[in-house]
Amino acid sequence: MNGAHFVTSPLQTRLIRLSEAISTWWPSWRNNPSGIVPTIQNIVSTVDLDCVLDLKHITLHSRNSEFFPKRFSAVIMRIKDPKTTALIFASGKMVCTGAKTEAQSKLAARKFARIIQKLGFPAKFRDFRIQNIVASCDVQFTIRLEKFACTSHGAFSTYEPELFPGLIYRMKQPKLVLLIFVSGKVVITGAKKRDDFYTAFDNIYSVLAEFKK
Amino acid sequence: MGDAFCSDCKRQTEVVFDHSAGDTVCSECGLVLESHSIDETSEWRTFANESGDNDPVRVGGPTNPLLADGGLSTVIAKPNGGSGEFLSSSLGRWQNRGSNPDRGLILAFKTIATMSDRLGLVATIKDRANEIYKRVEDQKSSRGRNQDALLAACLYIACRQEDKPRTVKEICSVANGATKKEIGRAKEYIVKQLGLETGQSVEMGTIHAGDFMRRFCSNLGMNNQAVKAAQEAVQKSEEFDIRRSPISIAAAVIYIITQLSEEKKPSLKDISGATGVAEGTIRNSYKDLYPHVLKIIPSWFAKEEDLKNLCSP
Repeated sequence: MNGAHFVTSPLQTRLIRLSEAISTWWPSWRNNPSGIVPTIQNIVSTVDLDCVLDLKHITLHSRNSEFFPKRFSAVIMRIKDPKTTALIFASGKMVCTGAKTEAQSKLAARKFARIIQKLGFPAKFRDFRIQNIVASCDVQFTIRLEKFACTSHGAFSTYEPELFPGLIYRMKQPKLVLLIFVSGKVVITGAKKRDDFYTAFDNIYSVLAEFKK
Repeated sequence: MGDAFCSDCKRQTEVVFDHSAGDTVCSECGLVLESHSIDETSEWRTFANESGDNDPVRVGGPTNPLLADGGLSTVIAKPNGGSGEFLSSSLGRWQNRGSNPDRGLILAFKTIATMSDRLGLVATIKDRANEIYKRVEDQKSSRGRNQDALLAACLYIACRQEDKPRTVKEICSVANGATKKEIGRAKEYIVKQLGLETGQSVEMGTIHAGDFMRRFCSNLGMNNQAVKAAQEAVQKSEEFDIRRSPISIAAAVIYIITQLSEEKKPSLKDISGATGVAEGTIRNSYKDLYPHVLKIIPSWFAKEEDLKNLCSP
């Protein structure tokens, strides 16, 4: 296998797809020497229901929704399973938050769309897109944040102990934000795909190990 | 004495300059070639031993390269006391109505100067803050921002860049109306703008408790021994895993040192006022420091028994 070639053979493509699939339902299979894998805490997704909605009608005819037009111009609806919250706007666009996996987020969005359909609006399910995934993990050792901010990574880090106790690391590739705390806990946000934050955590783990306290 | 062309003699003739009358006279025929010449030498006498306070050679203040015209324009001041004079007050109004491209800048510089005066900062920091403000203003995107917070953040960054950091709470106390959160947000914004403008130039080290030690101690009137002990203690405390803001650690160390010294001990309230840290926070930081107190306090300052006498949190 030539390292310089960027064209992958069909066998390679199949292997890559297989590894991605396995990573989704068995995350620790990825080769991270520490064996630590970030757990997803929240997924935010949007979907277009493609029809104009009457928010007052929705609030009056459904149990678990609230609508205060003076405060915010959207209906806030909650369902118990999966435990999620949706913001439903009059234009027909909907934001779904609170799910723990991508499949759950899609399922919850479909449930909300079904509720809107049952209320009499011609709702469709267009452009389901995951906008943001938040994950957290623990590297199991305390970190020297001041030293970290002084090194060559200082260009990407912001550490202001007066303003916020964690170091804010804005990674360029993949483009997301990590909050790194002295206790060793790391919060990763801004990812659109699961793989993004796995890669990000792999990258940051090797760097953090140098700054163990 | 020189040569010039005389119109009567129609040739170059020797010409005499008469200083008392200011005339240039042709020596051959007596025709006055030029009169009323203006003497451009100085109008005063300068002595070697005279003070340089009112040196008449220079006029006006130092030029300010940040302003558009170098600060050369004249400003009519408002008369203080009873403004009975119609002319001077109208002149002031008419001048302000004119379009002055620098007016916002001058006002901002004045505000920064007031704030740095209240904090007792040197002129270097004030000039740096002015420079930072001008660089941010050049990019027009700061229109809708809270001006007070922006100016306070410029001052905060200037202090940091000169290695003489001031806590955000201290800057808050002299900035009229800006909260800690607003100043923090403005600071992030400025850092981003300056980073966009030049490659990656913004250099600001993280703050350490030791930077503030000297100032807090002198505000409380601690003696030299105590100040040195406090600085050493704070250096040693950085090795331990204490998860507190550096200012809170500094305040707690000051509390320990003052409790150990024989002189009059400032109460928690005094320390809270001098450092800006809440009393509850100092107590909690003291609880965090207490297990390591033996290793942190230098042995030449306090013996073990004194440390045992320290009240347990």
